[in-house]
Amino acid sequence: MAVPQQPNETAADVAFGVARDAPPALIVADQLSKAFPNPDGTRKLAVRQLSLSVAPGEIYGLLGPNGAGKTTTLRMISGLLQPTEGRVLIDGQDVARFPLAVKRKIGYLTANTGLYARLTPRELLDYFGTLYGMAREARRRRIGELAEYLGMGDFLGLRCGALSTGQRQRTNIARALIADPPVLILDEPTLGLDVLSNRLILRLIQSQAQQGKAVLLSTHALDEIEVLCRRVGLIHRGALLAEGDLDALWQRTGRTRLSEVFLHLVGADEPLLAH
Amino acid sequence: MSRFSRINTIWRKELIDLLRDRRTVIAMVLVPMVLYPALMLGSLQALEVQQALLGTEVYNVAVESRPAQLWTQQVIQEDASLLARSAPETGPAAPDAAQEHSARQRSEQRPPPFRVFVVADIEAAVRAGDVHVALRFHGAPPERLAPPALDAMGIELIYDGSDVRSRDFAAPGLSGILQRHGAALVRERLRAQNLPESFVQPVAITERNIAPPERMSGAVLGQIVPLILIVMTITGAIYPAIDLTAGERERGTLETLVVAPVPTIELIVGKFIVVTLIGLLSAVLNLASIGGTIYLGGVGDTLTRGGEFVFPLTALPLIFVLLVPLAVMFGAILLAVCSFARSFKEAQNYVVPVMMAALIPAVVGILPGTRLEGPIVVMPVANIVVLTRDLFLGRFDYAAIAWVLLSTSLYGAAAIAVAARLFGQEAVLFADAGSLRTLFQRRFFVPRMAPSAATALLVLALAYTLNFYLQQALARSGLNTEALLIGLAAILALMYGLGPWAAARYLRINVPSAFALRPPTAAGWAAAALLGCSTWVLTIGYVVFQSQHFPVDSAVQRHAQDFERELNGLSPVLVVLTLGLIPAFVEEWFFRGFVLSGLRSGLGKVPAVLIVALAFGLNHYSAHRIVQTTALGLLLGILAVQYRSIWPAALAHALHNGIAILSHRPDGLQPLLESLGLVLDEKAGVPAVWLIGGGVLCAAGVVLALLQRQGRTEVHR
Repeated sequence: MAVPQQPNETAADVAFGVARDAPPALIVADQLSKAFPNPDGTRKLAVRQLSLSVAPGEIYGLLGPNGAGKTTTLRMISGLLQPTEGRVLIDGQDVARFPLAVKRKIGYLTANTGLYARLTPRELLDYFGTLYGMAREARRRRIGELAEYLGMGDFLGLRCGALSTGQRQRTNIARALIADPPVLILDEPTLGLDVLSNRLILRLIQSQAQQGKAVLLSTHALDEIEVLCRRVGLIHRGALLAEGDLDALWQRTGRTRLSEVFLHLVGADEPLLAH
Repeated sequence: MSRFSRINTIWRKELIDLLRDRRTVIAMVLVPMVLYPALMLGSLQALEVQQALLGTEVYNVAVESRPAQLWTQQVIQEDASLLARSAPETGPAAPDAAQEHSARQRSEQRPPPFRVFVVADIEAAVRAGDVHVALRFHGAPPERLAPPALDAMGIELIYDGSDVRSRDFAAPGLSGILQRHGAALVRERLRAQNLPESFVQPVAITERNIAPPERMSGAVLGQIVPLILIVMTITGAIYPAIDLTAGERERGTLETLVVAPVPTIELIVGKFIVVTLIGLLSAVLNLASIGGTIYLGGVGDTLTRGGEFVFPLTALPLIFVLLVPLAVMFGAILLAVCSFARSFKEAQNYVVPVMMAALIPAVVGILPGTRLEGPIVVMPVANIVVLTRDLFLGRFDYAAIAWVLLSTSLYGAAAIAVAARLFGQEAVLFADAGSLRTLFQRRFFVPRMAPSAATALLVLALAYTLNFYLQQALARSGLNTEALLIGLAAILALMYGLGPWAAARYLRINVPSAFALRPPTAAGWAAAALLGCSTWVLTIGYVVFQSQHFPVDSAVQRHAQDFERELNGLSPVLVVLTLGLIPAFVEEWFFRGFVLSGLRSGLGKVPAVLIVALAFGLNHYSAHRIVQTTALGLLLGILAVQYRSIWPAALAHALHNGIAILSHRPDGLQPLLESLGLVLDEKAGVPAVWLIGGGVLCAAGVVLALLQRQGRTEVHR
């Protein structure tokens, strides 16, 4: 159904059904496609015409099986990959045209992000703070805040190479948050973490959203999505199968669990064999 | 945050990170500290010990008969007692202290002990290694030591050249004994006849080496040190280059770095500074260690074969200066190569060919006859090797030093540009983002309106070097002047015309846009005409000034005058076309078109015009023309950027060249100019009125061009 276009509405507003009175979305992906060239000259379409938007204060969950195109989508949104088609706006700025200005507004984190093993978390955070243009005093204050919030006091002065998985991921999160960016892009941030670290990070994501940040979260942990997100997008073979409020999805599919919704949508919802 | 403070942050962090890695410190500090003392002291001392042992071994001599055995034994004994009586330092055979002497010469002067055997088949005995040397007497050996009266005897000395004992000890030792015996006989006979020694030695030759010990030591060091410095600069830079690119990718830190708000070029420059710094430090530590080992370890005397060893300290500061562009070039090349690799292991594989590729020109450089001239001046690595050797010998040719520094820096800049282009590539960044092959296949290139700064620099470095080699080849071909001119124009058209065009087509760069082919405004043509009609007279004025204050070598001057006379004998159309119009168009097409549009997209207008002007100046491969050609390049660059077109620059360049050529020709503009009071004579100089007129026209052209910019900005507002 065509949405009536108001005089000042942008194309992106219309495409995503963003109401005029809603705050403008901090993340807008508009008809993103990404094709990777194969050596034989053919192209592999990793993402096709994917659109989504995330408003301030919102946590948007991006779900999908392995190889569905989640990571590619997140990389395009954070400016690491150039879309073959479509565009990304962060806080109204086009990623392709203003890559540096946009990167300043993004905190980006993946499960397999490495740390500089020979630097301490304090040095690492200070380094990234400098790259984000923060003054010395601001860096010092921010490192103190993050260390306290993430419980990093014990290992702030140790070399990153000597940290445990949980400590490492906390350092990584602190790195993503060092410049207090309005947009967070998190790719499987809790992968491989124990329950305690997991809980700490989920709380942090919630608190960041409460501060008005737009969070785009990709994960396999569907229970995390159910707890954190109001809106989700289900991605399969590079395309967005369904998108919207969780309540609406449950109503539409008649399923009560996200995993069932997903299996239903991809047409693979045969029940498991009984014992 | 400024670009410089970001780069500053990056390189300092990378340096701290690397220096905390034990492997870097080991490769950089421990290897040179341990390697040279171990290698030089150890191997040289081992060699000396072995030589000493071989010198005291008893060697076996085979002869065919008993009388021959007796005679040989007698001669050997006589020689031994003679040598024992006369101390070697004062004896006639004493060597000059500074003279080189090999194991063979030493054996000749201080023969080892011998045992003489009678063997039936002496050749077979030598061949089998049963004896070290054999003597065959032509005619029977005399019963006494001396052959009677004026008879002469022939002795054939048979040895095995493949056996070091036979070749370097037994044969020269025995030969020395026999020669001394012969010389003693001569003296005896002369005495018997009451004749002086000069009777048989009418020409007495004494050799005197006037090279001071410092230079002799420099000659030795010049053979060893440059190669070590090349190898060690690369070795030092390899580990950081891999660690900061492929290593970073492998550890998963690259993604976070690329997602930070820092342009790729700044990341690469930060990393490049560290790689270069460590390569440089490594080379300096190696140099210091070589110096220390030679100086403190007493290896110098062994290297100079007994001569006094003096380390040529005066050469050191310049060698350090030369190391900088060398480290810059290798740092950049290694970074470019490693940026391409996705893992440490892959990078190590890529680095091996770089090392090999660097060693080939290095070996060309250390060949004894290689001199710093012709293509060697711009041949990467080889030029540094030859120059370092020259510096050790105390030869300081500052023009050559400048060329080597400039050309090496240019290659470094091109390599760093390539590194920046590769570093941020998706296919390199993420293994799942497609094959690396796609980086080179045309169908995957994104169409562009102008080349990137990296591409422009790379094409510049390639075209510049190839053009130089081809011009040199042509100059040595022995063609007549007419064919030479046509050949030069053809090379220029090929290298600067067709080459960049093909590169643009291959890289899917829009040709009219990249070569700035859009038609200019009328004001553009006017500014071009003003410049083109004035720069030639200013250039001539400057040349007169330069020749008065910095006179050109008379041979070069004569050569130039001969060439000018030859040109005057040729058709003016041919000369103007090949030396004036074709270069004018082709050079504008390349320098103010392709290179300028590439550099201004990455560096901004002013740096781009300056760099292109300097490249244009260097392109004339002459130190005496660099000032005027660079200045002309600057003016042409202003025209090109202000009118966003090469046509005004091409017109100005063509007018400049055309008038400059015709002004020297009796069948051209010379009579007209002379009737107007301009006599082109280097001694007379250019009349002030002409210089002022030229200056005013030139300034008017520049002002007109600069006004264009103000008008354009207002329209934008």
